[in-house]
Amino acid sequence: MSTQVRSYKANKVLERLTKKVNRQIAGTMLACVHCGQCTDSCHYVQTNPGDHTFVPAWKADRVRKLFKRHMDWTGRVIPWWVKAGSVYTDEELEELKDIVFGKCTNCRRCTLNCPMGVDFATMNRMARGLLVSVGIMPEGVAVVSKDQWEIGNQMGVLKEDYLDTLEWMEEELRSDLDDPTVEIPVDKEDCEVVYTINPREAKYDPRTISDAAKIFHVAGENWTMPSEGWDMTNFGLFSGDDDLGGAVARRVYEAVVRLRGKKLVISECGHGYRSTRCEGPNWGGVDLPFEAESSVLTMLRYIKEGRIKVDPSKNDFSVTFHDSCNNARSCGLFEEPRELLNLVTSDFREMYPNRAENYCCTGGGGAMSMSEYAPMRLKSAKVKADQLAATGAEYVVTSCHNCVDGLNDLIKHYKLPMKVTQLVNLVADALVIEPAKASVVVEKKPEAAPAVDETPTVAAALPLEGRKILVIDDEPDIRTFLSTVLEDNGASVLTAGNGDEGMEKARAERPDLITLDLNMPGRDGGQIYSAIRADEDLKDIPVVIITGKPELRKLIYDKDVRRPEGYLDKPVKEDTLLTNVRKVLEVGADDVN
Amino acid sequence: MATVTLGGKDVEIDEDGFIQDPNEWNEDVALDLAKTEGVEEMGEDHWKLVHYLRDYYLKFGIAPMIRKLCKENGFSLKYVYEMFPSGPAKGACKVAGLPKPTGCV
Repeated sequence: MSTQVRSYKANKVLERLTKKVNRQIAGTMLACVHCGQCTDSCHYVQTNPGDHTFVPAWKADRVRKLFKRHMDWTGRVIPWWVKAGSVYTDEELEELKDIVFGKCTNCRRCTLNCPMGVDFATMNRMARGLLVSVGIMPEGVAVVSKDQWEIGNQMGVLKEDYLDTLEWMEEELRSDLDDPTVEIPVDKEDCEVVYTINPREAKYDPRTISDAAKIFHVAGENWTMPSEGWDMTNFGLFSGDDDLGGAVARRVYEAVVRLRGKKLVISECGHGYRSTRCEGPNWGGVDLPFEAESSVLTMLRYIKEGRIKVDPSKNDFSVTFHDSCNNARSCGLFEEPRELLNLVTSDFREMYPNRAENYCCTGGGGAMSMSEYAPMRLKSAKVKADQLAATGAEYVVTSCHNCVDGLNDLIKHYKLPMKVTQLVNLVADALVIEPAKASVVVEKKPEAAPAVDETPTVAAALPLEGRKILVIDDEPDIRTFLSTVLEDNGASVLTAGNGDEGMEKARAERPDLITLDLNMPGRDGGQIYSAIRADEDLKDIPVVIITGKPELRKLIYDKDVRRPEGYLDKPVKEDTLLTNVRKVLEVGADDVN
Repeated sequence: MATVTLGGKDVEIDEDGFIQDPNEWNEDVALDLAKTEGVEEMGEDHWKLVHYLRDYYLKFGIAPMIRKLCKENGFSLKYVYEMFPSGPAKGACKVAGLPKPTGCV
């Protein structure tokens, strides 16, 4: 075997391998016991169950064999036992490319599910870096990396075009707010906030720039955007090229230092956040002399500190949240976006699994720039599509541009009735802007309306006055809670402890709305739901599902019947319940789904 | 890479559905591409935008900034998104026969 001639590139790859294996990667190389825990955690495996070449442990072994053969003593002594192996030809390197770039999005879900702590995605990224060092990579990755090296941002946006775009957004904002003093300050020194973005925002969709500027303006922030070093994305993360990663990250850090900014704020981009805040200092070999945070935290802080006011009823549609792998799994950013989302929308539905356990948008790890793997990517997106559909939400919100595009692609492919948006858009839309008092703001406040002097005569203004609601739930405590809240708000409430009793009462009383538990003895909520929808007399009554087991959503959403008008998770809060019930009753059933 | 029939002739497209050779493009090809991007009818402004994108690409080899596109055609950003719901990068560029934009899109 050792007599076989090795190509120049294969030699270089092996040479570099020995330099790139650090302790973390060595652990990953050695610790795998092939137990199979990672298998089902991967969305590629779930959608291609018969194909072992998608299994994380199998993919890892394509790289692991090189380590065993060239770096570990076991591979020299008992190579047949530890499955050590080498690479000789450029074709073999191309095959490896199709695995490390095409069959993994580096989402790290398998890492989280490994009892041995094997971090396959980190090893996969290293393998990508080895191939990139000899010029073997998908064309899309090469083009973008070149632009980041040479022009300073991943879409080759020229400085004058970037500045012209900021100026344009400033003009738009001025006319939108009818306020000629609004600014998007560029290169202003000594600011509290230096705001950096994804070039995609400047090149194709600058609405997020004007929305962010609007929020900074209303919050009275002292902020600026740099004229250079404004691209916080980093293809070094995707290509595995630490040199590129360091160079790109340093460019951003230098901008903050040059402007003497106090805080670097990173717009909603998962890989940008991870690269700039978490990995960049290591790649670039620098300590950050300033704070760096995601704009999600900035916006949340503004609301908590009372610097901006928001009205969730302005975003009157159901939303779910998709955790970006880089934000949630790799950087632990998952509670804050939910907190913020709940402040600016009124009908939030959790997606299952979620947070660090969420599935990749399927476009991660730079996959959106690798057209050659698009069909495989979209096929593997089935698991994500099912997960999205099960929420029944109208909008999926995400704090990552890459996820926005990945999700849009799969939503189109699987024809889901869903739109994608980001927190910055929702916060900007929910803003209550004080100076323009005369306009809309006053009417909507419910507590402002009955401003009559006497308090006891509230009855007339109760929001659910004259509504008949049927509560079906097997737990007496929940029945009491729900009926108390609804009755306190003027509804007349009937209760039922199981599905069949519920059906009977529904037939006899014809309520205006039914709340339905899913997990009940006897016929479960899913069966009762189908029965209601199939019943000529009852089928038009709006139903709000209230369940403590949201993962049972499938019982409802997989059925070929009209979707429920509302869906709430237990424990349910008083105001959430009221908002949702009112929305269903007042907005009307047809608009909801 | 695959070959499909667009505007009555065989055209090579990439895996994301973007045509490979800009010389193969004509208005009939564009009409068929538009259907894949949720554009039912190509109005006068659709054509204006698509021709602008194509001319710009043939001249400079890249897609224009959305700023240029709006300024030079007198379109608002909102209007561009109304015309091409999947956005200027994917929707409009595809219909205009440009290759897939590079980067996170």
